[in-house]
Amino acid sequence: MLKKKLTIKIILFLIFSDILETLIHLCFKKGVSSYSYQQVSTLADLLAFFTGVFSSPFLWLGLLLVFLTFIVWSTILSKIDLSVAVPIASFSYILVPFTSALILHETVSWLRWSGVFFILVGVIFVSLSTREKEAHL
Amino acid sequence: MKEGVIFTLFLIVLTSICDTVNQLFLKSAINTLSSPSGNILNILKFILKLVLIPRVWISLLFSITSLCIWLFVLSRADLSFAFSADSMHYIFIAIASRFVLKEKVGLKRWIGIIFIVIGIAVISFS
Repeated sequence: MLKKKLTIKIILFLIFSDILETLIHLCFKKGVSSYSYQQVSTLADLLAFFTGVFSSPFLWLGLLLVFLTFIVWSTILSKIDLSVAVPIASFSYILVPFTSALILHETVSWLRWSGVFFILVGVIFVSLSTREKEAHL
Repeated sequence: MKEGVIFTLFLIVLTSICDTVNQLFLKSAINTLSSPSGNILNILKFILKLVLIPRVWISLLFSITSLCIWLFVLSRADLSFAFSADSMHYIFIAIASRFVLKEKVGLKRWIGIIFIVIGIAVISFS
């Protein structure tokens, strides 16, 4: 059964899921930021790293958002096809570098942006082809 | 490419592989059940049946491993780089779907995969 109707409500849900996805990774990055480039050479170091990271409130906020995203995605996928949802949702491939530059002050060169563009096109192609498969069902 | 970039890419490959194994176990577990119809109660019943399958727990184990590696990656790489490079799980999942789950992978999907590979190569040099 094809579910194709893209209503305003679904589009808002998709934008919401993009923002959530971006927030998750910003939270994770913030959560590990105090352990940046920490020397890890023994198993004890690794254990200390994870104890530290898992006691960060940012990390748990991120995990909470993962759970919320799961619910939002389940709702989206019950209304529209995966092949329609994924290309719109892959907007987060632009949103993440954008917010990384804006909030985390990372430098995103034009070369990196062009790489992001290739990935975006690739992700859209990969998901579009699911239509062929659904046609057989 | 600096040596640090290669190590980070290796870790991202590892987290993507864990992700792929996680998805394969989850999908093969889900394939044993019939998909639920629309209402919430049926979906809840479906999830309950699902968590009783041991393969789902293996899947969860891999997803936790993937998360741990991912956090380690984020502690030593730019988010804008790591998140983009993580798109390589699309490649692994497509290949695994083809050879493990015996799904059909169409031409458009292979073209998409080539684009992703080029994109990851470009951001790795940036």
